[in-house]
Amino acid sequence: MSEILKLENINYSYIDGGYERVILKDLCYTFESGKFYTVLGPSGSGKTTLLSIISGLDTASSGEIYFDGKNVISEIGLHKYRRNEISIVFQQYNLISYLTACENVLLAMSETDNKLPKDKKTVAYNLLERFGIVRSKADRIVTQLSGGEQQRVAIARSLASNVNLIFADEPTGNLDTATEKEIIGIFKELSHDFGKTIIVVTHSDTVSAMSDQRVLLKDGKLTTIAKVEDKGF
Amino acid sequence: MNFVNRAFKNVSRKMSKSVLLALTFFLIGNLVIIGLGVSNASESAKILTRQKMRAVVTYQLDNDKIFRYVDSIEDEDEVNKFYENYPRIRLAEITELLADTRVKTANATSTATWFPDANKTLDFVHLNNKAEESMGESGQACYFEDDGTQTCETYIEPTFLVKGNMFPSMIEIEDGDYEIKSGRFYNEQEIKDGALVCLVTENFATTNGLSVGDNIVLATSNLSKYVQQAGVTQEDLESTFEVIGIYAHHTPITPDSPNFDYCSPYENPDNLILMPSTATYMASMPMQQKMWDYNAVNYPENEWDESRRPSLENMEELTYIDKVTLLLNDPLEVEKFVEDHQNTISQFTSLDANNEEFKKLAKPLDTLSMYANFIVWLVVINAIVIISLVTALTLKTREYEIGVLLSIGASKFKVIAQFFLELAIVAVIGFTLSVISGSIIAKRLGNTILEYQIATSDIEEEEDSYYSSYIDIWNSDYTTDITIDDLVSEYEVNISPLIIAEIYIMGLGIVFISVIIPSVMIMRYNPKKILMNTN
Repeated sequence: MSEILKLENINYSYIDGGYERVILKDLCYTFESGKFYTVLGPSGSGKTTLLSIISGLDTASSGEIYFDGKNVISEIGLHKYRRNEISIVFQQYNLISYLTACENVLLAMSETDNKLPKDKKTVAYNLLERFGIVRSKADRIVTQLSGGEQQRVAIARSLASNVNLIFADEPTGNLDTATEKEIIGIFKELSHDFGKTIIVVTHSDTVSAMSDQRVLLKDGKLTTIAKVEDKGF
Repeated sequence: MNFVNRAFKNVSRKMSKSVLLALTFFLIGNLVIIGLGVSNASESAKILTRQKMRAVVTYQLDNDKIFRYVDSIEDEDEVNKFYENYPRIRLAEITELLADTRVKTANATSTATWFPDANKTLDFVHLNNKAEESMGESGQACYFEDDGTQTCETYIEPTFLVKGNMFPSMIEIEDGDYEIKSGRFYNEQEIKDGALVCLVTENFATTNGLSVGDNIVLATSNLSKYVQQAGVTQEDLESTFEVIGIYAHHTPITPDSPNFDYCSPYENPDNLILMPSTATYMASMPMQQKMWDYNAVNYPENEWDESRRPSLENMEELTYIDKVTLLLNDPLEVEKFVEDHQNTISQFTSLDANNEEFKKLAKPLDTLSMYANFIVWLVVINAIVIISLVTALTLKTREYEIGVLLSIGASKFKVIAQFFLELAIVAVIGFTLSVISGSIIAKRLGNTILEYQIATSDIEEEEDSYYSSYIDIWNSDYTTDITIDDLVSEYEVNISPLIIAEIYIMGLGIVFISVIIPSVMIMRYNPKKILMNTN
């Protein structure tokens, strides 16, 4: 498999109460395309910070990130990187509350420069239907949907812009176990059947157990672990 | 789902917020429309009234300046020397002012009361009033002989008024007060040569059976004993003038006119004869020369400077001008004209835009306009503060949305554009409604405030002078009399398309400022920070 995301010597620290707090230290790691990754780590280890940096929502203190061999900051640009190369699924779903499920999906399609089918609305409805959101629900304002349904809409939105790299930050944190399994099933399907790279930051052992590769963030560094038991915390 | 779509969806789906904001804009719009409407009506009333007034600027000797200067001189000889060369307006100075393209014409007029010839070949236009009935009985004209004895003779009243101008047109002609019916006005060459040409009124021409090209004989004075002792003969007094034009005037005197019975023939506008001012000088020169010679011989104790003897050569030197009235093309340009030339005029002269009376009368409108503008600015500043606060609070609750939009790659510009558009849609709705209600309120309120302003202002209107309904013989006052009613009649609060455009532009400006400040405050953070704040 080819590499899709390469992290080189990533450092991240901030000043807290006059002291420098180091979160990521000379972090190096390579993510391969078409795999479903879970990033594990104790609370406060910097999982969300790492996700923010590799998804272009924040910048590292130093170090380089390469997407498909191109430097994310100097060659692609953070803005274009977020718009055309990646998508993110949040724990809080982060849908636009006054739009319908379909409109939230269309939103991602309208922002990207990637090539998309002409009939975007049909594509949006189909995507939602694939994730269990039927037409009647697709036309509802998202606040009228359940948590699980909203997360499905968020996943549909992340796929709408036709990107190959999807990040998810505790995507099942607010969901019950049955829905959690269902959502992780979708992620697996996306990586295995559609070649998407999924990087999920999670606390959940269930999620972690279903992933192709588990990566542990500890002491500011990433290491691949074989089993969930190897977490060591 | 671009930012325009999102803006419309937000406005339509968050109805209560949109209605509240629209109501705020509606109230702001009403206040601004009232303010702008009243202010505009005041300014328009002033402009329209000023446009109806004559665009005259007076260039004259400034006696205040002269007296102040004389007071400052301590040496008596110097004072005498100053009086000998008393300031005057030179023709060259007027010509310089006339070169300004804003000037239409100028009146530097001289008037004199003249007589018919000895054979009375000319009759004046009669009013058949008491003044005419008593002609010949009007008393005695007395003077002192050389030996100190007093000599009296019957006073003969003049019958014609002669008005001469130094320029080849007149304010009255340009403004249509006098209308040339046949022939023409005198030209520059005739003024230069002192040509004996004249224009008479239609009634005068009819009374005397005159037409253009005919000659008339006029006497500059009556042959009194006083002038006879200087050797002046009837021939010296009489001159033949060619009638080059016949004109009509629009100020007929009727038995209903004020003081009709006391109007002398020469006060009747029908008996006014127009001619170059140099022609009046030429006609009176033989008498003036003989009087000068006689006085030089009989009063040797006085200084008689030969260069000042009346003659064709020193015609300009002896034609004394102390006041010129300039007629401009546009009444709104008088103040600017005065301002432009104020520094170039000679020391003891002044330029007057004749605007003081107008300014005094327009004071209530100025006050009204000032208050109205003050209200507009107050409302606009408050609106910016209020709408900015409302927007800031609204955006605070929508931080997560900004974060989400940025995280999916929406540009900051598009995010701000969406918020701007949302507010602009609501503002347009609010302002459109306020245009309808504001114009009704502005009309009613504007009129009430103006009435109150006038009632509380201390305006004294000048009464018409005795002569104002006949000919302005001596004062040459060309200004237009106006009253507060003239101003009020032009005052009408109308919400013009221009005001409506102003409201929308101002409103969108408020919206822009209100959105940009809080947006920039939020946008300076990266998407992670914004999302972390909300999550």
